[in-house]
Amino acid sequence: MQEIRRKYVVPGDRIIEGNFRPLFNVIRAGNSIISTRIGIAEAGREGVKVIPLSGIYIPRVNDIVIGKIMHHSSLSWDVDINSCFSAHLPAQDVFGRDFSPARDDMGRELATGDLITARIIAFDRTRDPMVTIQDKDLGKVPRGEFIKISATRVPRLIGKRGSMIQTIEQATHTRVLIGQNGIIVVTGRNSEGINLAVRAIRMVEEEAHTPNLTQRVKTLLNVSDSVPADASQLAQPQNAPKNEELQPPIQEVEEELDVEKGENVP
Amino acid sequence: MTQTRSLIDENGKRTDGRTGDQLREIKITVGVIKNADGSAFIEFGMNKIVAAVYGPREVHPKHMALSDRCVLRCRYHMTPFSTDTRKNPAPSRREVEISKVMREALEPSLMLADYPRAAIDVYVEVLQADGGSRCAGITAASVALADAGINMRDIVSACAAGKVDDRIVLDINDTEDKEGDADMPVAYMPHLEQVTLLQLDGVLNEDQFNQCLEEAVKGCKMVYEVQRKALMQKYFGNETELKEEQ
Amino acid sequence: MSSSRRSTIIVEHLRKQQMWDSISKGKRLDGRALDEIRPIEIEVGLIKKANGSARVKLGNSEVVAGVKVETGEPFEGLENKGALILSAEVLPTASPYIEPGPPDEETVELARVVDRGIRESEMLDLSKLALIPGEIVYVIFVDCSVINADGNLFDATSYAAVSALMNSKLPVFEIRDRKAVDTGEKQNPPLTTVPVSITAVRIGESVILDPTAEEEACMDARITITTNSDQNFAAVQKGSTGAFTVEQLKRAAATARIKGEEIRAKLRESTKAGK
Repeated sequence: MQEIRRKYVVPGDRIIEGNFRPLFNVIRAGNSIISTRIGIAEAGREGVKVIPLSGIYIPRVNDIVIGKIMHHSSLSWDVDINSCFSAHLPAQDVFGRDFSPARDDMGRELATGDLITARIIAFDRTRDPMVTIQDKDLGKVPRGEFIKISATRVPRLIGKRGSMIQTIEQATHTRVLIGQNGIIVVTGRNSEGINLAVRAIRMVEEEAHTPNLTQRVKTLLNVSDSVPADASQLAQPQNAPKNEELQPPIQEVEEELDVEKGENVP
Repeated sequence: MTQTRSLIDENGKRTDGRTGDQLREIKITVGVIKNADGSAFIEFGMNKIVAAVYGPREVHPKHMALSDRCVLRCRYHMTPFSTDTRKNPAPSRREVEISKVMREALEPSLMLADYPRAAIDVYVEVLQADGGSRCAGITAASVALADAGINMRDIVSACAAGKVDDRIVLDINDTEDKEGDADMPVAYMPHLEQVTLLQLDGVLNEDQFNQCLEEAVKGCKMVYEVQRKALMQKYFGNETELKEEQ
Repeated sequence: MSSSRRSTIIVEHLRKQQMWDSISKGKRLDGRALDEIRPIEIEVGLIKKANGSARVKLGNSEVVAGVKVETGEPFEGLENKGALILSAEVLPTASPYIEPGPPDEETVELARVVDRGIRESEMLDLSKLALIPGEIVYVIFVDCSVINADGNLFDATSYAAVSALMNSKLPVFEIRDRKAVDTGEKQNPPLTTVPVSITAVRIGESVILDPTAEEEACMDARITITTNSDQNFAAVQKGSTGAFTVEQLKRAAATARIKGEEIRAKLRESTKAGK
């Protein structure tokens, strides 16, 4: 059990002095580690990082995102992934290697305004991100209620091993598709359930950094602390987070810190 | 810019009642423009200025993108009703120059290499101008950049000092700007202790220059406290210390 | 300077579907009824350097307007009247879809439609603002700056301009040696009426009031109707590339009178002025 010190910081704030390893959203200045963002600083044995509370989504390879089709060129679709870069979905990803623009109608397959669940397969400093919809559970999102939240709140919304989002899904009988980029689509049997789920999601977004959030969400959903998993209602979240992909949730203190390749590892 | 009347009375009070080392009242509200990625509204004396940040975002037109870092664009602009006589909405040369020095004041604080091929746009609109509007604008812009979640080495705080009635005073107001002897706006990064903007309008000897610079930096540090408090207020409410879950 | 369009909003297909379904059931995505206007906040007198000013929030659309008064030559053909010059710009702070640049056709239309509502209704009795007819008259500048754009900029800008005029105190000029001199005294502007602009858009077969930016991105057509204190019509503008039926327009006009009266009361209350 390592010593974790946590505090609220704004850019330029000194988090800690000494020979600590900078993890993300921090830089070394002389003997100090300082924050580059507004957020919650954590200093522990593994290193120092700041969990940001604002900032747009920066793509990472293997992230699952929900994107919006904008236009298409003859060879690929331009996809708005709520970032500073638009992504490209190659036509070949959908039509196969023998794609022919003359024969295959791109606009028919995916039209402007359509939403897709996609995985980022390539992205680096020299080019725009590329996505695929070929894996299981990826592809066009046919229906549901669309919400946008800050991408920085997504880890908290998913929760430790999916706990937060599963609590919401089970209590409201909904299925919540979450993109790492902050785009969310909620589907369910009835509108009351969907509306309640949306309220819970908004609550998490607004209060992500505060203690006892889980309790307050459960209260909102009218859920007791020991609700058993209802197997018939249980819908695996579309992008069931695998631990190695997940940015550590803000409240996770006892577990090992996932040393995540986040933005700006110096 | 030499004075004709006395701007400081026998009791050391200035035209607005302040002493030589007092800042005007400052109020900063964060997140006032819903569509922007980051924003701040500042009231600094009678200055009323809004700053909005969009970015990082795609560069338009594409050919202006840089392969290894983000493009930073700043615009300082005054609304027609912001000044004593109505100002034509078209950008004046003064606004063009201030836009440039503002960008150069903010850029050292931003980690632009983290966002290659993207752009950050900073828009500062002066709704009402009092002396020191560029300092107020930079102050608001830096808060807006932090609000937008852009990686920064430090916040930038700005404040002017000047010479009035042959005395070095802090944060000169509109009257002192127009009728005083010298005006020195300064922008400063308080943790890194670096000056990112320095201009001088007027005549100072060497002692006065050094004193004026020190005074302005003192002012910047005071401005920083207001900036920090405003950001903490928006993000963490009244909690300044992180409370742990049981 | 003003505003150019950088790109356009693309509304998600799912969202459009939600919007259509919701509207067909009589409710909008933000929970409003079809003829419900968003909450309006009006603050006046915030710009002390201006002769009059107002900050209006219509939902999330926010506009600041300022009135500045000078003297100058009258417009040609209007020698006996003061000059009213209204401008509007959408600041680049207002939306990710705007960038600095010369005003584009939408911004020009915005300024002209707001101007028309105020001018045609004769809100200001400009004949009372001539000092030497043909030579020196009052020149009233009303400048509007849109700070945040979330739909229905026509009404938000109009309410800001009207409130700023109602809030203003004009300097009293007098002629000495054939020159206009500011006596230092102040007078109320010669107000005759309070014009109120009401905008509606058609989405499918429904007509809804006070659209958000998202609703405007899905609209077929738009209508802006300005009424005066007598509830007569002073200015109308149809916008966008779709069409209205005659029946829809008549109903919109009737609604504009009723809703216009409600907004008028609010403008009077916030500015403590106006007939």
